[in-house]
Amino acid sequence: MTNIFKPLVAAAALCAAPFSAQAQGWTPPGPITMYIGFAAGGGADTQARLIAQGLEEKFGWTVIPQQAQGNSGLNLAAELADAPADGTAIGMVVSETLTYSALASGDPSVQLDKFTPLATTAQFQMGMVAMDGGDFDSWDKVTAAAEAGTPIRFATASDRQADMAWHLGQKVGIDFNIVEVRGGKGVMDGLRGGDVDIGWVAGAQSKPVQQGEMTNIARGIKTPLADTPDAPVITELGSDYLLDGYFMFIAPGDLDPDAREALGNAIRAVANDSSTDANAMLTKAFGGAAVVTGEDLDIFMEHSVKDAAALIEAVNG
Amino acid sequence: MSETLQYIGLGIMSVLNGPELFSIFGIGVPVAIVMLMGGLLTGIAVGATPGLAGPMAMAISLPLLISAFGFTPDALLPVFAFLIGIMKGATLGGAVPAILFNLPGTPDAMMTTLDGHPMAQNGQPKRALRIAQLSSVSGDTFSDIVLFVCAPFLAVIVERYLDLPEKTALLILSISFIAAVMGASVGKGLLSVSLGLIAAFIASGSDLSPRLTMGIPALREGFSLTAAVLGVLIVGEILSTLEELWRNKHALKVKDVENRGAIDGLQRGDIRRIVPYIGRGAVVGTMIGALPGVGSTLAATLSYTLARRRHRAITASEDPQFGTGVPEGIAATEAANSAVSGANLIPVLSLGIPGNAAAVFLILAADSIGGFNPGPAVFTFTENEINPQLVTAFGIFTLMALGNLLNWTVGGSFMRAMGVLAKIPAHYLLPVVLLVAMTAIYFQETSMFAIWTTLGFGVFGFFMRKMQVPVLPFVIAYILAGPIERSAREAFSASGADPWFLFKSPISVAFLVLSLAAPVFLSRGGKKPS
Repeated sequence: MTNIFKPLVAAAALCAAPFSAQAQGWTPPGPITMYIGFAAGGGADTQARLIAQGLEEKFGWTVIPQQAQGNSGLNLAAELADAPADGTAIGMVVSETLTYSALASGDPSVQLDKFTPLATTAQFQMGMVAMDGGDFDSWDKVTAAAEAGTPIRFATASDRQADMAWHLGQKVGIDFNIVEVRGGKGVMDGLRGGDVDIGWVAGAQSKPVQQGEMTNIARGIKTPLADTPDAPVITELGSDYLLDGYFMFIAPGDLDPDAREALGNAIRAVANDSSTDANAMLTKAFGGAAVVTGEDLDIFMEHSVKDAAALIEAVNG
Repeated sequence: MSETLQYIGLGIMSVLNGPELFSIFGIGVPVAIVMLMGGLLTGIAVGATPGLAGPMAMAISLPLLISAFGFTPDALLPVFAFLIGIMKGATLGGAVPAILFNLPGTPDAMMTTLDGHPMAQNGQPKRALRIAQLSSVSGDTFSDIVLFVCAPFLAVIVERYLDLPEKTALLILSISFIAAVMGASVGKGLLSVSLGLIAAFIASGSDLSPRLTMGIPALREGFSLTAAVLGVLIVGEILSTLEELWRNKHALKVKDVENRGAIDGLQRGDIRRIVPYIGRGAVVGTMIGALPGVGSTLAATLSYTLARRRHRAITASEDPQFGTGVPEGIAATEAANSAVSGANLIPVLSLGIPGNAAAVFLILAADSIGGFNPGPAVFTFTENEINPQLVTAFGIFTLMALGNLLNWTVGGSFMRAMGVLAKIPAHYLLPVVLLVAMTAIYFQETSMFAIWTTLGFGVFGFFMRKMQVPVLPFVIAYILAGPIERSAREAFSASGADPWFLFKSPISVAFLVLSLAAPVFLSRGGKKPS
């Protein structure tokens, strides 16, 4: 980094996090490799690439995005665990990767304690989605159809979502036919093609919902959904757990605290700055930036691990 | 209807209004059209070079194109433009050495040598080339029109009437059919398909820990699709040709023609003579092309045979017959082998099932770039919201139509200039191609593991060729393994874990019966290697 950028970084860091004075001095020792745990071209991938672009523009760092998709982000985790813990290797996953998926895989090398969470960027806008005007466009219709003996095909895009669908079904006495598909796009293709009846989507449903093609019949997160504020939360329907989570950046374990703070603040500065493309994208597709860093993030991750363990226990036990 | 027109409009605009490369007199030249032109000329040159083929050029240029254009949806049309250009150019170029030197530039130009070369020897090489161009481009254009009309309808029908179990059964039918029709025997076809499926099952699946990796970390994400496909198709082919050259100790024989003073160029009445043969050839080629895996060589052979029979029936015995350099022979072959390329994209775009090597590379491009997944979902005419995949599909149609236009105009004069390429000795050419291919793969994958994978699959492809096991079923099965497993899993769980999910609907049972019937009834017992 040249000297011209130093005051800029300092200013950005100061604006973003007034208490991070000690981290201002940290700069990456080389180009940063940004692993992306999602398919190229999708919403999450675009988000990661725009953050990379923002980091380059705002801080003058060199960021090289690289795909490492598959196995619910665990491929990325395995690759990142072997990378140097000096801030030159970061990865974008969902919080679920290091909580539910890591626990469910049982592989000790990809557990949360092997990584340093840096910053979240956006929260899941998790909805239970159905075609608007179809036979399942409200929770009442779903339960009524189930009582009438109609098999209900429930599309999910991850093992955790599948477990949550099963758990909810157990609680309300419906034996869903749970269909695991590829990503939120796979869920929506299935709905459109009539291959499935309802499904979880974490934010990509926003546009079809706004245009009246689909509807959220319930939500998996605590706060009301931006597009369908009336959709009931699944805990009201009978679930013991929420289906919440974040898109987030992580680094290998034992990262220098200064580096962690600097990277976290830099991501925050890009995601929250309304002049960046990343911010525009987060606002458009994910209900706005939702950045959590440092201790707050540690607390959230620990909670999530506990919830995930309880869910796995509830489903398998 | 208005929706369809709107999408056609958007598709055309997506090509014409794409990013500009440069401008001439203030008019911007869209990058997609420049790429199409570049691909077309490359394709003609490659087709005209014996030992090289369209798929090889597509394979090598794909990683380079992706490095140049990136992984954004904006990259789709320029990359497709170049690949489509190569595909179209190569069918045209293949006729050049067949006519001039009795040496087919591409395997499907074999039958072109039968009448094209005698005509050239009679002192009319330009006439032969001109007839080849007219027939080839007409066949291609006809086939493209069938594609534009049929692909969307087929996709809509599939999406409306086929549920998950039927889609699974259809995919099973397609690989069974490909195994049955390709290669020296059904057994070898099935072997090739099975090996492809096994290779594709490494590290895929939905378990949280990747399967069949034997604990090798580099296999965690499976073999790279590009490395496997290029290895088997391209590196294997190069190794096998080099071995052939080494064994024969001499290069391919080139027979030149001398001008005997006949009047060259298109003759009066030629067009009227060849039009019926072009028409029949185009229909034969299109019908064969729409079936995955059957290929253009069969289309050309069938069309030539039919045309010869017809010609013998309607002409007097003292008239020149097929094999002596009659325009009808060139027309029948070239129209048929070119008509395969458009129709071959019908199963690709509407079902995601590739039928030949060119289609494999188009799927590979879509898969690498992302944002376009060939299959029934492409042709969803969504209300209110624009379906970007459908716009891309119509963009591809636009590019194909423009490609035909270029083939009609500049293609002809360019192909006539390409005769010189047939004289490049293959033992110089192929090592260069190998080097460029490996560099291109490293460019895209940036890992030495990908290079080793490619070489490994190359050696594998070499031995498959030695044992006359067809390689294309391997590659197609490798590509379809994921969709088959995924749709089977989805169908199984959507049916409430019913183990008999494939046998619950008449359509799916019919597909399965056909999958069994294909290997049984298409069995050739190794009598007639194709």
